[in-house]
Amino acid sequence: MNDSNIAIEVKELSKIFKSGLKGGEVQALSEVSLKVDKGDIFGLLGPNGAGKTTLVKVLLGALHATKGSASVYGLDVRNANSRNKAGFLPENHRFPDYMTGAQMLKVYGGMSGLSSGEIKARSKDLLEIVGMSKWRDMKIKKYSKGMKQRLGLAQALINDPEIIFLDEPTDGVDPVGRREIRDILKRLKEQGKTVFLNSHLLAEVEAVCDKVAILDKGKLIKTGPVSELTRVSSTYQIETIQLPIEAAEQIKTAFPHAKLLTDNKISITFEDPRQLNSLIDILRKLNVEITAAIPVKISLEDSFMQLLRGEVKHG
Amino acid sequence: MAKFTSILYDTFFEIKDRKIFWLYWIVTFVMILVFAFLPDVKINGQNILESGNIPEEFVAEGIAMFFNGFFGFMMFLMVFGSAGLLPSYLSKGRVELALAKPISRTQLLLIKFLSVFLIMSSIFIVSCSVLYLLISYQAGIFTGYFFLGLLVAIGKFLFIYAILFFFGIAFNSTAATIMGYFIIWFVSNLLEAREIAYQLLTNKVWQGILDTAYHILPKFDEYSANTMSVMKGNGFSDFYPVWSSGLFGVIALLLAILIFKRRDY
Repeated sequence: MNDSNIAIEVKELSKIFKSGLKGGEVQALSEVSLKVDKGDIFGLLGPNGAGKTTLVKVLLGALHATKGSASVYGLDVRNANSRNKAGFLPENHRFPDYMTGAQMLKVYGGMSGLSSGEIKARSKDLLEIVGMSKWRDMKIKKYSKGMKQRLGLAQALINDPEIIFLDEPTDGVDPVGRREIRDILKRLKEQGKTVFLNSHLLAEVEAVCDKVAILDKGKLIKTGPVSELTRVSSTYQIETIQLPIEAAEQIKTAFPHAKLLTDNKISITFEDPRQLNSLIDILRKLNVEITAAIPVKISLEDSFMQLLRGEVKHG
Repeated sequence: MAKFTSILYDTFFEIKDRKIFWLYWIVTFVMILVFAFLPDVKINGQNILESGNIPEEFVAEGIAMFFNGFFGFMMFLMVFGSAGLLPSYLSKGRVELALAKPISRTQLLLIKFLSVFLIMSSIFIVSCSVLYLLISYQAGIFTGYFFLGLLVAIGKFLFIYAILFFFGIAFNSTAATIMGYFIIWFVSNLLEAREIAYQLLTNKVWQGILDTAYHILPKFDEYSANTMSVMKGNGFSDFYPVWSSGLFGVIALLLAILIFKRRDY
């Protein structure tokens, strides 16, 4: 991969938090290395306390790495300029609630170096996109959680960033809002923006992300394309109108791992996909009417759980 | 410049949202009312300021003394009004938003310091000036030295806020910031009167310790004596409390920056 195509590069990054006067230590990140390509929607997954937010905070300069290095768009994260092209929506944010939504965008736009003319134009568009135009002049203290989240997204996009870090962006947002946020992310991808998404909502990550990394106890246990983790398995679910006892016995003899789910449904994992034809032959010989042969897809959630339980080899 | 103006704008709205902001104006308004009706206060059937019994120098001295006390009271309110600004800015969920912007930590902290200082000083200048103009009109005495004294008083707030800033960064708590500040203030005022303690402390080592502490810490009361002296047109009575307090403020600010640069948020 050409280096100019890399949006984020993390090399053997470790973060240790010192706690208490007795010198206790908590290893939040342990030698994490990963690369995120420009234009990708990259999902960072992991259970609570896995180190996801720590990694994002290191990338944005809010935390200092204990060991290793990280860069955003080729600039070391210790350099404030590495955040020139970045936008960020933190988890559990606390916006200045004494301001209105429009005033807040003015502040964070200005801090990103935008002129007041640019802020005015961007704010108008973004508040429209996130559905907050109506409430632009209302004090933030009167906003609901979902409204704050939408405003936060507008704030993260105010400087037209090349890379957007979103930490649990759909937290507190209703299903309609979630769908809208998902659409915004897809639109950002179409514009060639890179999105770094921290989320524990696996279905959401599966729906929008190109690649994911899974963190557990500060260690990176898997990284790769979503398609690799949500592959179609060699397990099929066969549905019939009625499965006679004779057919069930013959199937059991031919495929000892077959599981009879109901009196018309059977689940079989094939060692060779061509074995599906043999099964169909057996059923047809016995005049069993097949209504469906469905390949069982492994969801991201299944893969995630398997990885955390150590059922799948890390890599 | 956009970064500076946006932090200034944010700070202004935050200060405006605080109840203590309105307290400054209430105090100023009450004082304006008091002095607006002062001509009606009569001694022996004559107006207090028009009686001719009071020499002009005495009135001028009285005004300077009043303002020295008023400055102190307004500073006291300013300490409470500004102590929580930095801990609030550095609170979890808010500081990350600022740190994620393309602005270095040193720049961020210095702009925040300057913003609070400029806004609080502006409030101080406006409220004190309005009051002075009214009093000087009533008394028929006007001196530009008052405004020089006002500037010296603002200089005091500069090192006071540097101390608050340091505690704000170090403890990240409004209560601890106010406590830290008042401990310094209390110890400093005690040390300014250390000559009394020398009568009880014959041990030279202790005297040396108290002396060193006195020279290190800012000198609140001795600084205020300069404000009074400048307001009366006598210039600085003693420049040492001015520069040594200023130096303490600079060191406090540098330490605050150092802690902020190293800290994880």
